[in-house]
Amino acid sequence: MNDRDIAIIGYYESKIELKSGRHVYDLAGEAMAGAVAHAGIDKSEIDGFAVSSCFSDAGNPFYAPVLASYLGLELDWCQITDLGGASASGNVARAAAAIRAGMCDTVLVLAADAQSSENKGAIGAFRSEFQYPVGIMGPPGYFGLLSRRYDHQYGLDLKALGKLAVTQRNHALMNDKACEKLRRPLTVEEYLASPMISDPIRMLDCVMVCDGASALLVTTTARARELGARKMVHPIGYGERINHLEAEQCPDITAVGHSIAGARALKAAGLTPAQIQSFHPYDDFLIAIVLQLEQLGFCNIGRGCRFVMEHDLSHRGDLPLNTGGGQISAGQAGLAGGAHNLVEAVRQLFGEAGARQVQRRDNAMVTGIGWIPYGRNWGSSTVLILEAAR
Amino acid sequence: MSTLDPLAGQRPAPAPYNFTQPFWDGARERKLLLQYDPDAGKCQFYPRPISVFSGRRNLEWREASGRGTVYTYTVSHKAPAPFKNVSPFVIVTVELPEGVRIMTNLINCPPDRVKIGMPVRLAWVKAGDMNFPVFEPDP
Repeated sequence: MNDRDIAIIGYYESKIELKSGRHVYDLAGEAMAGAVAHAGIDKSEIDGFAVSSCFSDAGNPFYAPVLASYLGLELDWCQITDLGGASASGNVARAAAAIRAGMCDTVLVLAADAQSSENKGAIGAFRSEFQYPVGIMGPPGYFGLLSRRYDHQYGLDLKALGKLAVTQRNHALMNDKACEKLRRPLTVEEYLASPMISDPIRMLDCVMVCDGASALLVTTTARARELGARKMVHPIGYGERINHLEAEQCPDITAVGHSIAGARALKAAGLTPAQIQSFHPYDDFLIAIVLQLEQLGFCNIGRGCRFVMEHDLSHRGDLPLNTGGGQISAGQAGLAGGAHNLVEAVRQLFGEAGARQVQRRDNAMVTGIGWIPYGRNWGSSTVLILEAAR
Repeated sequence: MSTLDPLAGQRPAPAPYNFTQPFWDGARERKLLLQYDPDAGKCQFYPRPISVFSGRRNLEWREASGRGTVYTYTVSHKAPAPFKNVSPFVIVTVELPEGVRIMTNLINCPPDRVKIGMPVRLAWVKAGDMNFPVFEPDP
């Protein structure tokens, strides 16, 4: 993936809103129009489409081609990816693969969801049999189980989680696309005092489900040059791990798939974690950031909280982290939430992040997380490494 | 003796699949049945249409001993619909000596008494009109 033959040439992110009342197709339309305008290309260039599945239109078994029809797209390649918050980063890799396979030339990677306005999701499966009777409060409950075990094995430093919450909140204050309800200053004390949901998960450990959409345009570097692209970002490494340790019936639940996906992505990019210049991890819960720091090799296993305390993770720091606010402080646009961190990384590498622009912007790492298996951590792990074109 | 179970009477009935029906038939007789793969010599949970070890469909049902230890837990302060007005309750992941884990409730245990590693034993509650396996402290 590191031939730099694939380029992201434009992006767009909508305002993230709570209960916007908008239809997911409307959000998707805004994202596509915005990305096309940002790239400065004609819509007719798009011959491939990779979309994340969503809650809002989850009952539609033909979501991808139907949405493409609403968007006026004629396509040679069409893909829906249902890896939850890992779909957007996964779709950049899928778009690159489809382009390299000669199936299409220019792909619209799109993620839209209006989950806080309309949710038609019905996950069913083991949940209907073995989860719903237990009364577990969905993802916060699962992350409560995970956090308790992590605390037992390694010790959980609540001050480190509070620092993550405050760092991301400060970034959201500088991001006018972030949900307005979350754009107020936060202290570590407020984090610690926030109501317990599923001990030790507090309200401010969690994302707030919102509505929103993002889009990226992916093409060949050669075509990007022909189109006169002023700026571009190359995907140079990608790794994916679905259902890590699935056949093990009693795995260590603090071991996540990012260990595999990260090693693969870093190897392809020819980089070590210490060389990553900004980090944009999927953040449905604060502890997910700690686990990823460890399992991606930024620090040793069990040392994630210490790493957080020892590093400046602000946009001016030594490892800028989720500079758009992350989903926890910008809002989670349903299953499109995984595109928030992705677009922020691309925005930083384009040098278009305004007041929160990072100084070192040669590369960035983005991760995705999706779906929650029975009694474990998370089912989908993706790692995407991006590089600014020189 | 009163039972400490804040979810009592509110659990929705599970929705079995055709291939998980033997588990619920066992539950009716208060037997906790696990799928056993004789080729791998291992149990698996939750019930699946195939062995996660071998990929084959050579599976048997075996009754679990009913013993276990708490692998992890959370004290939940809220429960989703259809639950209403529950006081804090305990969700545990129990590790069974048969080599599987079950995520369920810990009853008859005040939330401040649960600990990782504590021994627990099988108990049965109602979920809708069906029997549902939970655990309680094993003194």
